Amino acid sequence: MRIQVRRTGGFAGIERHAEVDTAERPDAGEWQALAERACADGRDTPPVGVPDGFSYQITVDGRTVYAADPRLTDEQRRLISRVLKEGA
Amino acid sequence: MTTHGGFEPVFCTIVPPHVLDRLAQHADPVLAGPARRTLQRDAFERTHRRLTTVIGAATVAPRAGAEAGKPHRTVYDARHGTELPGRKVRTEGEEPGRDATVNRAYAGLGATFEHFLEVYRRDSVDGAGLPLDATVHYDREYNNAFWNGEQMVFGDGDGEIFLDFTVALDVIGHELTHGVTQHTANLTYYGQPGALNESVSDVFGSLVKQYSLGQTAAEADWLIGAGLLAPRVTGVALRSMKAPGTAYDDDVLGKDPQPATMDDFVRTGRDNGGVHINSGIPNHAFHLLATALGGHAWERAGQIWYDVLTGGELAQDALFADFAALTLKAARERYGDGEELEAVGKAWERVGVRTP
Repeated sequence: MRIQVRRTGGFAGIERHAEVDTAERPDAGEWQALAERACADGRDTPPVGVPDGFSYQITVDGRTVYAADPRLTDEQRRLISRVLKEGA
Repeated sequence: MTTHGGFEPVFCTIVPPHVLDRLAQHADPVLAGPARRTLQRDAFERTHRRLTTVIGAATVAPRAGAEAGKPHRTVYDARHGTELPGRKVRTEGEEPGRDATVNRAYAGLGATFEHFLEVYRRDSVDGAGLPLDATVHYDREYNNAFWNGEQMVFGDGDGEIFLDFTVALDVIGHELTHGVTQHTANLTYYGQPGALNESVSDVFGSLVKQYSLGQTAAEADWLIGAGLLAPRVTGVALRSMKAPGTAYDDDVLGKDPQPATMDDFVRTGRDNGGVHINSGIPNHAFHLLATALGGHAWERAGQIWYDVLTGGELAQDALFADFAALTLKAARERYGDGEELEAVGKAWERVGVRTP
């Protein structure tokens, strides 16, 4: 499973992008479960965010969903921070 | 398909509304309960968003006995969680505590309140004494600060790229100005009106800082977020109104993408259509006007911008040219056919925004 996260906006307006290929990971099952739950709560179109809030694009195996701060589910928040931290 | 079993948020998006309606009427409370709650929550969020867009945020009455013309500040601590507003840690009139972040947020709210009151006779964000709420220590290593429609929210930064977002007074002024905009022109947060919304926040954020330091336009640094970048980052701030596009150039952050003129206007769908990018253009126009006039930027340049923002003629979907035309009108109404009017026209001309 290929998980990509793109974060745009924010006060600084600086974009960040990272991805994780779970095939190379010993904890692939955990990643996949988290990604599925995060995507289940995502939207098909970008939600209207709040001023200076981050906007997120989560793409799992080619399917993209959208989310925005501060209305993220716990799973989305966890997935986004893990991918941006551990991904390449 | 699983329709219950603990993953209640799943209802939010993948179950169509008509199915939710059916489920909500189901005899089995296990099915009906979550569906009802989801419908209620969705309806609430939708109505809330719509009301906020249409009429601006609800005005919260100042607490009983509160004096007009005084701030009503409350600082909350999210304790690295994401529940808002978090635990109340300092209210109006309380002495500073041991948490420097809380103290900075409280002081920054006060400085912003004072600037709007003393310079523009505006009593708080809504002009009617709205209590000012801020939450600090939001999430962990959170590299952002935002206005959620009702209050300010500050992250601590990760220490690698960003430091604590309360360290920059202009950031606090910027966020509260989003509140002022929401209660006045309510510029749509997308594309050119969104970039104007951002720019107005940068302008008054910078003016709050200049006012608190007693600086003239010539003395001010015209930077947004100076002191916010961690020491290892190559850059001085997040944005420069004096020279958009020059605030940072770093191997991790990349280069400041802001244009200074319409020739370099960036067309993009990201960042709500480039609201933090193209704001460089009206930002620069303001800087040109303020430095051309000299003296304190909040006096004449700031007054003209404030008149446009609050005058009732600025449309929610205003473009740069619409805003520019209103600044000419405001300059003429307040100062007549003098140097102010001429300087406003020249400032927009230099950034490539056509005025009538």
